[in-house]
Amino acid sequence: MLFALPVLLVFLVFSWGPIVKGLVMSVQQTNLVDPVKWVGLDNFHYVLTDPGVGQAALNTLWFTLLALLFGFPVPVLLAMFLSELRGRSWLYTTLAYLPVITPPVVAILLWRFFYDPSPSGMFNTILGTVGLGPYPWLDSPSSAMPSIVLEATWAGAGNAVIIYLAALTSVRADLYEAAELDGAGVVRRVWHVMLPHLRGVLLLMLLLQVIGTMQLFTEPLLFTGGGPQNSTMTILLLIYNYAFVNGDYGAATALSVLLAIALAVLSAVFQLATRGWSTE
Amino acid sequence: MNRFAIRCAAGLSVPFLLAACSSAPSSGGGSGTGAGPGGQVTITVGDRPSSSDPANRANFDKRVADFQKANPDIKLNPVETIWDATTFQAQAAGGQLPDVLNVPFTEPQGMIARKQVADLTQVLKDQGLLDKFNPNVLKIAQDKSCNVFAVPTAAYSLGLVYNRDLFKKAGLDPDKPPATWDELRADAKQITQKTGQAGYAQMTTNNTGGWMFTAQTYAFGGSIENEDGSKATFDDAPSKAALQLLHDMKWTDKSMGQAVLYDINGISKVFAAGKVGMFMAAPDTYRTLVQQNGLPSSAFGIGPMPQQGGDHGTLSGGSVQIVSPNATDAEKVAAVKWIKFNYLNKYVNQDAAVTSAKAGVAAKLPVGTPGLPVISAEQWSTYQGWIKPYVNVPLENFAPYTKVAADQKIIAEPPVKAQEVYAALDPVVQTVLGNEKADVGSLLTKAVGTVNAKLGR
Repeated sequence: MLFALPVLLVFLVFSWGPIVKGLVMSVQQTNLVDPVKWVGLDNFHYVLTDPGVGQAALNTLWFTLLALLFGFPVPVLLAMFLSELRGRSWLYTTLAYLPVITPPVVAILLWRFFYDPSPSGMFNTILGTVGLGPYPWLDSPSSAMPSIVLEATWAGAGNAVIIYLAALTSVRADLYEAAELDGAGVVRRVWHVMLPHLRGVLLLMLLLQVIGTMQLFTEPLLFTGGGPQNSTMTILLLIYNYAFVNGDYGAATALSVLLAIALAVLSAVFQLATRGWSTE
Repeated sequence: MNRFAIRCAAGLSVPFLLAACSSAPSSGGGSGTGAGPGGQVTITVGDRPSSSDPANRANFDKRVADFQKANPDIKLNPVETIWDATTFQAQAAGGQLPDVLNVPFTEPQGMIARKQVADLTQVLKDQGLLDKFNPNVLKIAQDKSCNVFAVPTAAYSLGLVYNRDLFKKAGLDPDKPPATWDELRADAKQITQKTGQAGYAQMTTNNTGGWMFTAQTYAFGGSIENEDGSKATFDDAPSKAALQLLHDMKWTDKSMGQAVLYDINGISKVFAAGKVGMFMAAPDTYRTLVQQNGLPSSAFGIGPMPQQGGDHGTLSGGSVQIVSPNATDAEKVAAVKWIKFNYLNKYVNQDAAVTSAKAGVAAKLPVGTPGLPVISAEQWSTYQGWIKPYVNVPLENFAPYTKVAADQKIIAEPPVKAQEVYAALDPVVQTVLGNEKADVGSLLTKAVGTVNAKLGR
């Protein structure tokens, strides 16, 4: 116990300390210079009546949904494809993982260049050769969020691929052999051997993805600053603006607390709902 | 002159009133760690250029060394911290701010209200500086009782930056930028028709959309907030006309290109690449455009802010030096001495002016870029005479701006929560430029509601 004490203390101070401090600040008005003023639930009232919060919540959910629809299946399919490859699979795995090691700021600057809305922009030039576009990509409220999803999927898929591949390597080879002997093609092998083994990992990754996408921040900050027309303003970007642009720490922490509660409830519901699914 | 200005002018000109309206000297609520053995004071000073800008950094370091030689009882600790809207609050909260820092004109009023800056009235008075400033500019740094919380060191008024090469290609006179927004609209259309490039572009993101819309509203004779900053006022005719004009240029004339999302870096890049004919900016954009983004200096042109329906004025901006609210009295004196040495001496001392200009030329910085005087107009023109042999910017390209700017009325930024107001206006401008069917009136009415809620908090 005595040896564990330093670790425990560090954990309490650096991990739980800020959380407790955040909870306290959500019921205070402070600029961290003047004496704090206790304002009860005023901060919560302010953020809940701010029309920007409603839109940011909808935008965040919209991103989560798009990321689930398009971003979630991509790494699963990629991992299954890679696990089917014979020889040089390390090369393909490396290629799949490469975007993950690109620093997000660099990747986003690169994609901003791709997304140039003029006809001479990179993507628009390519699409123009087959008679499509030019598309406004980030400059239109309807296509800005899907454009961000596309980049985020490209940037994040590699991580998930590695985890799925690790899960797939634990599938016993004799199961595949037995399936092949029974005349099962690729599709049936995927359906009857791979997917049942991935189920637990898939559910965990799904939960992690939902929690992760609900905290979308870097992409809208660097791509669009929340625009156009607030269409990519997410909850986390709004929290950041409250705190670091407006200096309103009370509102920022109140909204953070609300987000944390929403995510905790979501996780609990998800766990309850899927308790029976992860094991057969 | 409004009541506030009269009060402050009275306070500045009459010593008795000045004494009455200045606060008592700070009792030194700071950390007190600045005074070392032998009475030496150590202060940290921000804005040291980064190592990626070696010439500028060497120039800065030399000034630090010269200052320490002239003031052996003060030790400076230069740091690379610069003001950034997105990190300032965190740095202030974490006690990480240097003792002296350069911040833009939008900030002092909010900082004064949040008590994030030191009261410098007494120190400035003791140093003989208080009555040297251009009173219009000093207002930016004063509270309602005329106490001074920051030292203005640079000021500008916004104008219209234009590409002289594109003007020529479009058959326009490069020495005659548009004087009204109607002329600007016609010129933009002509540029797009003749050259295929965007005739005009406007910043829209990271609060610059609101900033520029404010400038445009002022040029149309409107306002953003009422005098005491308690209510938003931009749902009236001038703002509507300004926004409608943007809408028509984008959708009827198609003279604003496809891109909607620009901040100052983005617009500088496309402008320097010759893809934009005109945009609103200050004369100091010259450095960003020519030195950082490779625009030929001959292509740079700047005119005064175009007006609409009369001569209303233009938005001013600039920078002030702030001192940490935790500074002790001795540190405040040291800080003001450094500010005077580094930023203001050149305006009042010929040797300092020449040394500074020579160093600027050696560091390949633009010397002689026009701006507004932070000191009295007479002193300013003397200073211009001192540095004339070292000017390395094409002054004739600034001529349309300087001819008008000296007499053009300058209008300050919104007095309360300027950055939050700008943030609320960003999506308004983005909507007009991104949606052909945008309803200008209802957009402004909605934004007024949002801003009023923020002003009331």
